[in-house]
Amino acid sequence: MSAITASPASTGPPPAAAPRRHLPFHGDALSRLGLLLLIGFLLVAVFGAWLPLGDPEAVNAGPRLAAPSGRLWAGTDSLGRSVLPRLVEGIRTTFLLAGTAVMVTAAVSVLLGMMAAYYRGLVAELITRGADVLFAFPALLLAILLAAIVGPGAPGALISIVLICSPLMVRVVRAASLSVVDRDFVVAARVGGAGPGRILLVHLLPNIAGPAVVQATYALSVGMLLESGLSFLGLGLQPPSASLGSLVHEGAVYLPIAPWLVLIPGTLLTLAIMAVNLVGDGLRDALDVRGVEVRR
Amino acid sequence: MAPSGGLRYFAGRLVTGAVTLWVVSVLVFSAVHLVPGGYPDIVLGPASSPQVREALRAEFGLDRPLVLQYLEWVRHVLTGDLGTSLGTGEPVSAQLMRRLPVTAELAGLSLALTVLAGVPLALLAGLSRGRFGRGLSRLVGSSAMSVPDFVLGSLLVFLFSRFSLGLPVGGYVPLAEDPVANLRSMALPALTLSVFGLALVVRTGRDAVAATFSSPHIAAALARGERIGQVTRHHVLRNAAIPVLTVLATYAGYLMGGAVIVENLFSLPGVAQAVLNAINGRDYATVQGLVLVAAAVFIAINLLADFAYGVVDPRIRAGHRG
Repeated sequence: MSAITASPASTGPPPAAAPRRHLPFHGDALSRLGLLLLIGFLLVAVFGAWLPLGDPEAVNAGPRLAAPSGRLWAGTDSLGRSVLPRLVEGIRTTFLLAGTAVMVTAAVSVLLGMMAAYYRGLVAELITRGADVLFAFPALLLAILLAAIVGPGAPGALISIVLICSPLMVRVVRAASLSVVDRDFVVAARVGGAGPGRILLVHLLPNIAGPAVVQATYALSVGMLLESGLSFLGLGLQPPSASLGSLVHEGAVYLPIAPWLVLIPGTLLTLAIMAVNLVGDGLRDALDVRGVEVRR
Repeated sequence: MAPSGGLRYFAGRLVTGAVTLWVVSVLVFSAVHLVPGGYPDIVLGPASSPQVREALRAEFGLDRPLVLQYLEWVRHVLTGDLGTSLGTGEPVSAQLMRRLPVTAELAGLSLALTVLAGVPLALLAGLSRGRFGRGLSRLVGSSAMSVPDFVLGSLLVFLFSRFSLGLPVGGYVPLAEDPVANLRSMALPALTLSVFGLALVVRTGRDAVAATFSSPHIAAALARGERIGQVTRHHVLRNAAIPVLTVLATYAGYLMGGAVIVENLFSLPGVAQAVLNAINGRDYATVQGLVLVAAAVFIAINLLADFAYGVVDPRIRAGHRG
């Protein structure tokens, strides 16, 4: 199980310090496309609530199960709710939930990964073994089990994303830290009397930021996939709130007669995940990070 | 030195797998027993009077310390008794045996599709030099990586049911009853599950092949006048196999989660559907049995992958890597 290892990443200067003369992802048209898409999605997620699209929860905004038309761009659902504002809410929820989970994941795993590299012995052993055990659960199965225990809803989805994305990120951060922790400037800092906190934050963190950011991007796409998968099974977000996955879940019954209820949120979800993945690829190449992997 | 090093490598992996399985069993058991509304509450739920509660506690062994309950469960599992469903009263192992062929066939077909189509495609993509070809393969690859299985499956269900494209949607036919109809009913579910695997194998294989081709020993072999096909067979395939094996093990883990979604979407009576039903019905006896089995299978697959690395790459066996 430890065979999925992360090879040491570049240990050059931190990416933020490098002067960039050209636009992001130079010569990488696909990643640029992904970045544009992602920015679009994020703008909708942040400002969509103020767009004059109507109330996402207002029933009977039009006839039930109406096909997309000039007035109702995305049609209506089984309660006659306009789908367009629900899509906007879905985009916001999907990014918000997965984004929050990934921030928690990143904070926890970066700390644990650096500790596993800095403190050898029992601490390192406990952290890496713990990651191995979590890794031994098939991802969606763990999420379903958690949903059963915590109950369906956002908290369960959030915890599962953190538990599923952390092991890989801990490994990546640990591998990157291991290649730095024995270098002269770290030893010099230790000799100079710097404590563990200072060494981790000031000396290790900037040097592992690249791989961590790339891995966090992939974790975001995995988180979005997990949340939507859970919601599709009815174990994620509960009505009346909506994520892109729960919209597909609600529409699935009407697939033969009102396919747009499934296909529109499904396409948006695919595009959103693809945008995140493409940006991840672009970041990986731009920061020259090797050995970071996707798991789903 | 090679045999003892190899033996130590395999034994070490085996021990790690066993320890992991033990920890997983403790986690699953405590999750199911300690959580409010968990196993004991479901068993005692209908009983209102204290006498009945006591009788039930004694009958199910809930009056004993949790550690003993755990040991008892493990003893039963080791003898093949996974417990009894709290919903139907059927032994969990019987349900598992009845449903396993469906899920195994689904996973097997998906894996076969992934490997048989993925490996040649990866070689092709890794050997191609054209800018357009690479861009196209990246675009197709990242769409396939990104599309959630339930979206892809829903799209297939819609297309094939609306336009009657020749494959049935839903309606499982057992293999023993009619093999042809069985394969036709499994085609769309297996296709849905294999798309992610294909993307994974092509993406990883392409990079591995390209990386191997740019290494000096390939250039040396070509300079010696070896044919490109020969070089590919002798040097490239073996070196590129390791990362592909790794992602195949990852894919196996994905298959288990994906099976839940696909069996749900296409109404296949498999194990994954049983897990979902058990969770929705709060049938924790079934949940703990089936999840343990799933984790055991996943650990075994990872173990197999670890063994396969050892076989393919003598350096790993001898402990030179990792």
